[in-house]
Amino acid sequence: MKAIHKVDDIVRLGMHSLWVHAMRSALTALGIIIAVCSVIVMMAINEGTGKEAQRALRALGSDNIIIDSVKPPNTGDASSSSHTALNYGLTNIDVARMRGCIPGIIRCSVTHRTQQYAHLGTVNLPVSLIATEPVFEQIARVKLTTGRFISHSDVLRRKPHCVITQELARKLFIFHDPLNKTIRIGNEPFVVVGVLREMPLALGGQGDSAGNVVIVPYEVDIRRFGEYTITQSTGSRSFERVEVSQFILQMADEQAVLDGADIARALLIREHEQQDYRVTVPRELIEQKKRQQRLWNIMFLSIASISLVVGGIGIMNIMLASVTERTREIGIRRALGAKRRDIVVQFLVEAVTLTTAGGILGIGIGVLLPQLLEHINSEIKTEVVPALLLLPLSMAVGVGLIAGLYPAFRAARLDPITALRHE
Amino acid sequence: MSDIVRLEELWKIYRLATTTVPALRSVSLTIRQGEYITIMGKSGSGKSTMLNILGCLDRPTHGKYFIGGQDVSALTDNELSDVRNNKIGFVFQSFNLVQQLTILENIEVPLFYQGMPRSSRRERSRHMAELVGLGDRASHRPRELSGGQQQRVAIARALANDPLIILADEPTGNLDSSTTQDILDLFDELHAGGKTIIIVTHEKDVAAHTERIIVLADGLVKSDARNESAGTRL
Repeated sequence: MKAIHKVDDIVRLGMHSLWVHAMRSALTALGIIIAVCSVIVMMAINEGTGKEAQRALRALGSDNIIIDSVKPPNTGDASSSSHTALNYGLTNIDVARMRGCIPGIIRCSVTHRTQQYAHLGTVNLPVSLIATEPVFEQIARVKLTTGRFISHSDVLRRKPHCVITQELARKLFIFHDPLNKTIRIGNEPFVVVGVLREMPLALGGQGDSAGNVVIVPYEVDIRRFGEYTITQSTGSRSFERVEVSQFILQMADEQAVLDGADIARALLIREHEQQDYRVTVPRELIEQKKRQQRLWNIMFLSIASISLVVGGIGIMNIMLASVTERTREIGIRRALGAKRRDIVVQFLVEAVTLTTAGGILGIGIGVLLPQLLEHINSEIKTEVVPALLLLPLSMAVGVGLIAGLYPAFRAARLDPITALRHE
Repeated sequence: MSDIVRLEELWKIYRLATTTVPALRSVSLTIRQGEYITIMGKSGSGKSTMLNILGCLDRPTHGKYFIGGQDVSALTDNELSDVRNNKIGFVFQSFNLVQQLTILENIEVPLFYQGMPRSSRRERSRHMAELVGLGDRASHRPRELSGGQQQRVAIARALANDPLIILADEPTGNLDSSTTQDILDLFDELHAGGKTIIIVTHEKDVAAHTERIIVLADGLVKSDARNESAGTRL
């Protein structure tokens, strides 16, 4: 009881003497304010960009496994004998095996990608022709501005229907409604049934670089264009033959995703001599991203603790000066009945009050600053996590305790008789 | 009346680098409740040492010191703090008020360390300020007051914890003659009210107010006599 209101009084006393030297206190606390503020801002940016990256990965579908064919790295110029076709990537057999061996598949679809030209009237544009199955819409969470995605009836009736990107629609049709209009791809006519709002991320779209893309039913594509991608390079033509550009699987649950990815990798490594495929598991990437983010947080905190130490040295310095300046007061208090302990507590409370106030102020600024940053540059994404605010605050309090300890004990060690005579 | 202070063969020996200097050499004396005493002596007579020991700021090397029946000659630092806090009221030559605190807050300091709740502290310190005639200056800072007024505040502070003895160290040393008279009159009043007052001084005028004069020389009690003229001045 006695101790409780004594603490209350000592805190008041500490605030009182800080207030008397308001300017000095403010300057001393500045170090702590900056340290706390910077750690919050850094963590907010880290958290924000992390969240952004995770969001992007989720958009790929956290229950998906995406397997792409990639051109093997070591086959670049070796095929200088110009007319040989380069064979690589996933095959229909691979896809059949994976369909058969991997448990827990909800949906899956194959995609075949070739380069073609789209014509309308006099306009002639190079396009990526992507042939896929109707389920792709659900797996890759395709969003359309108008019309519909290719459907099962398109497949069954071998309808030459297509879906195009918004960018291509603008280039071909300018202001006209592209729906139900016919465009030519290669020499084949296709009727536009839908326009994509944005390129599905699973197909490598980044929103802005959607490019000129036409999506057609897989069966229609194979029948009309075959499996070759013809790449025209300066001197010669080179042919690339890729049976399946992408195989994408939507899995039942998290465990199915992880197991499925392992099985797919095991199957592919056995069948492929070269690394001509890439298995992307968004869920794994998210986990990786999270780990990375934690690491950054630890690094930021280490940097911040250095600045807190610097701030702490400032506090210790000022407290030592204060003890010298107030030697007489310490003598008076001791003569009038203050124990050494009371003096220690008085100066400790003063130091801790200073750093705590600095910490709270630093949090205040640290919460506002990220918003300002976002306002200035919209590419900066920040997120302040309330729970992470306690960490720098407790560090500030700790710094106050540590920095105040030596000056406080020095004050308490003063001999009351000499202290009373101090000028 | 009961003995409030008893010194039994009290020694204080300072150990310097090469020699030892005895500041008090087997001093024995008794002070009873309500006495009004001056301790005199030249510098180096052991006067300050005596004051520090009586004030429980220092411990004797040998011998015993009883205050209010309690042997305080071998207490720990913490215990001595408690004794100072509860049994001794200090008045200093240079007032020794805390400049950042108001008059009331200064008077409260000993009560603060007693752990008295803020409201009762405030009440008591206001009462004390009125007692020494400074009720209207309660919220001023020490530097805004004259020397005499500051010493009144110090006396109010010394009285606040209702101590067994009031220990005044050259209380008029920094004051001019008229304020000296004021302060001495205040001591006289307190004495009349039954307080035990010990003044350490080298001024004969001050000593003349008190009823008993103890003179120290070379760490010994040179004389200890009643001052017959004191009563007449009151």
